[in-house]
Amino acid sequence: MKAFYSVLALLCLASLPLPARAEPKAPLFPEAAPSPARTVHSDSVLKVNVTYQGYSAHLPWQKEAPGARRGLGVVLANDRVLVTGQMVANATYIELELPESGQKMPAKVVGVDYEANLALLETAAFGERAKSFFAGLKPMQIEAKAHTGDNLSIWQTGRVGELIVTLLRVSKVMTSQYVLPGSNFLVYEGQGIVRTEGNSFTLPVVKNGKLAGLLLRYDSKNQLTTVLPGVIIEHFLKDMADGKNGGFPSLGIEVQATLDDQFRAYLGLKPGQGGMYISSVVKGGTADAVGMKKEDILLSINGFNIDSRGDYEDPDFGRLSLSHIVRGRAYVGDEVKMRVLREGKEVELKGRLTRKNPKDYTVWPYLFDRGPNYVVEGGLVFQELTKPYLQAFGEDANATLLRLSHLAEHPEEYEKQGRTKLVFLSAVLPTPGTQGYERLGGLLVKSVNGKAINDISDLDKAFKQPQDGIHTVEFEDMPKKIYLDAFAVEKDNMALLKGAYRVGSLKRIE
Amino acid sequence: MSSTAQPIDVAAGDSDNIVNIDVSMLFPDYREPWNAGQPSGGSGTGFMIGKNRFLTNAHVVSHATRIVIRTQNDPAPHPARIVFIAHDCDLAIVEAINGNDFAKLRTLQIGGIPKLNTEVSVIGYPIGGERISVTRGVVSRIDFRPYSHTGVDSHLAIQIDAAINPGNSGGPVLQDGKVVGVAFQGYSGRVAQNVGYMIPTPVIKRFLKDIEDGHYDHYVDLAISSFPIENPAQIKALKLQGDGVGVIVADVEPAGSVSDKLHSGDVLLSIDGNPVYNNGLVRVDGELMDMNEVVERKFAGDTVKIQYQRDGKRAENTVTLKRFAPYLTLGEQYNQRPRYVMYAGLVFQPMDKNLMDAHQIRDATVSYWFDNFLSQKLYKDRPEVVILTNVLPDDVNSYIQGSFPAIVDEINGVKIKALADVQDALKKQGDNPDFIMIKLLEKGRPLVLKRSLAAEAQPRIMTNYHIEEDSYLGHE
Repeated sequence: MKAFYSVLALLCLASLPLPARAEPKAPLFPEAAPSPARTVHSDSVLKVNVTYQGYSAHLPWQKEAPGARRGLGVVLANDRVLVTGQMVANATYIELELPESGQKMPAKVVGVDYEANLALLETAAFGERAKSFFAGLKPMQIEAKAHTGDNLSIWQTGRVGELIVTLLRVSKVMTSQYVLPGSNFLVYEGQGIVRTEGNSFTLPVVKNGKLAGLLLRYDSKNQLTTVLPGVIIEHFLKDMADGKNGGFPSLGIEVQATLDDQFRAYLGLKPGQGGMYISSVVKGGTADAVGMKKEDILLSINGFNIDSRGDYEDPDFGRLSLSHIVRGRAYVGDEVKMRVLREGKEVELKGRLTRKNPKDYTVWPYLFDRGPNYVVEGGLVFQELTKPYLQAFGEDANATLLRLSHLAEHPEEYEKQGRTKLVFLSAVLPTPGTQGYERLGGLLVKSVNGKAINDISDLDKAFKQPQDGIHTVEFEDMPKKIYLDAFAVEKDNMALLKGAYRVGSLKRIE
Repeated sequence: MSSTAQPIDVAAGDSDNIVNIDVSMLFPDYREPWNAGQPSGGSGTGFMIGKNRFLTNAHVVSHATRIVIRTQNDPAPHPARIVFIAHDCDLAIVEAINGNDFAKLRTLQIGGIPKLNTEVSVIGYPIGGERISVTRGVVSRIDFRPYSHTGVDSHLAIQIDAAINPGNSGGPVLQDGKVVGVAFQGYSGRVAQNVGYMIPTPVIKRFLKDIEDGHYDHYVDLAISSFPIENPAQIKALKLQGDGVGVIVADVEPAGSVSDKLHSGDVLLSIDGNPVYNNGLVRVDGELMDMNEVVERKFAGDTVKIQYQRDGKRAENTVTLKRFAPYLTLGEQYNQRPRYVMYAGLVFQPMDKNLMDAHQIRDATVSYWFDNFLSQKLYKDRPEVVILTNVLPDDVNSYIQGSFPAIVDEINGVKIKALADVQDALKKQGDNPDFIMIKLLEKGRPLVLKRSLAAEAQPRIMTNYHIEEDSYLGHE
């Protein structure tokens, strides 16, 4: 509608006759404006173009349609380029592009931390081509300190590589979730308007010519900018440099505020005494290993006193949530000292900071740059339960999804049985051998051919041992048991590889 | 001309025994359960099936505070009352309070199951006017269908294309002068055209027989889930004969009729002598029908003989049929005052469909418990799930106002398995006698209230929020 009216308006204007009057003596075109000062550009910023492809949740041997991400990378020492983890997740092809000349260069990921949302790239080409590409580029320093009230600049590049600078005044320094659930880290927040340019990811945030952070997200409705700060970038780079790739440590606890005065009286907290109530301790996490227990009151970490809201006084950034003590100020392997109140007495807990590897969780919290583990037998598709699988359902909250989501949040009962992963039947491809089972899905596997299934390789092995030519698959839920003809399964497997589904590979166990 | 097309002479009293039932209702308030509820009204149709006995739908007279019967030729309104009401098959019997009011009316006769494509007439008091109305159509389909009154009961239902509109509910569907069904539900014209349903005579007759002893004993259920046998590997593994007989018993409800007789994995071969086929259908009176339809016709306490195979061996047993109570939680319930306990601003209510709908609960834990209550046998652990549905703000609870909705796990160390447990548990001295400690399922921290402060707050909250009774637990 709008377009129609504006076209109409133009037409109307065009048809109006010009009023007759004497021609002015002034020239038709005013004197040209003085040329602007040399176009501002930076030798430390270049364009990064990523093609990515995720794996299909329902047909795990297949990749989804490719997508594209365009962003900016920051040049660091040793011809390395810094971008965010979001840029490179599931990347199939990465390309660096010089903003002014347009020269391009393939690149590869040297290191990535999806929890901290940071990635380091380097060129995938060698010799002269790589040298000449980086010849005109200058690495940037990291600025690890900034405060409320600081003026920062957000950089974007225009069509010919010129810098577009937006000012950002830091209004808050706090902790916030980055991208993945549970990944709470330090951020700067500020108010301002960021233009939509071609590059939507990873904008550098600069203070006095140094890299103070990367743009994490921009809320255009509220004009709220959130920045991934330099101190986290510095931590990530130090971590990459020592080759251990430990990642960012975590305590593995859930805490509750103790502002409620009746709750405080019940817990035996004295007036003015701070501390947070420990409502859960993750099995295998740092806190678990040092002996923290549910219902303890956490009083201090590494000498920093925790108040009733869960905050402490940070020497660099002021009042912050306790997570920064461990996430931002410490490294995996560092010593940690905590004081807790337990049954009225103060107890000191000591140990080393750890980080739980995503592959050690019973349900994969995230899965990037690889496909899910699966096994296809005769048309039955078995997978290890992952959070990305549940997210792929979208808004369709049916009873099956609720049950699997609940399972993913509370796997303790199954962990006690010895399961390290939750193997489930995700779907059934209709084949001659799966007649009658086509509508089954979302079923947790209990056993195959009598063998308990604790992970996907158990299932793979168990399928090699049918009894009397029959495979028996037992589920936790209805229909509880199904049977397959072993010979039909073999035939169907061959047909799946070559026929209609072109499965490609009947399993992925990594 | 078929008898269905015979003219009805209203002045001559032809239709006097088909009555208008005018109902004043009070809908219960599950959000503020201490309130009386929302007054409303509605009307439907009923017809005489015995001396001062009118058959209608349960949904016409549910939540009634006053019922009035009117006939076509009599200007007087006749106060009436419910004699029997069966929510699980949407039928009810009402009678005039003055037994002589309808002494002169003829009873309508109940017929059989009409054949497809035969004509039927629907008579009643639908929207579009005040006087009696007749619509006509044919029998379109006979099928096992959900009855929308509760939403969790399914029985035989006959689909007809005669117009059934609001107000027709409870009215008779006639063929050759006999009742072949009670008009009760249909699709709105926006969804499907000319699709109306009537409750057929087997369901009506079962209801009338059930109430002969003076009380309604409800439908009974085998309470099993079956899984069809379609795959040759199943026949081989279960050592069956491949003669098309047998369906797998996939799941047995622990609170059901066969919980001690059948196990998951058994193959059900026959029920009451009727072979059960691989797809779960049974042949009864020459027709193939769902297994449930055999049990449908039985009464509480009846027995059925089952033949089954377990681990390759055949066996027989007799099952005494009973109602499977836990499923009621998942369906609409009527004529019940909402039960609750309110203490220190915390409102506790039992989980059921009425509550979930009224509060529009979206909490992941509560939704999981409700949706999986039967399928995951959660009712075994907690026969009645108690939910903290509200915290009425007051000084005593100012820090815990965001903690609802949530499932109550324990109060002062007592595991809560029914609403009736709550008040005693609140009084119990836990490990710290000065405090009341409430643990919520899958939530961060326990709710803690100082006993003395809670006791002080209770009368203040009841005054401020106009709550006259601190609890209603129903009839014990």
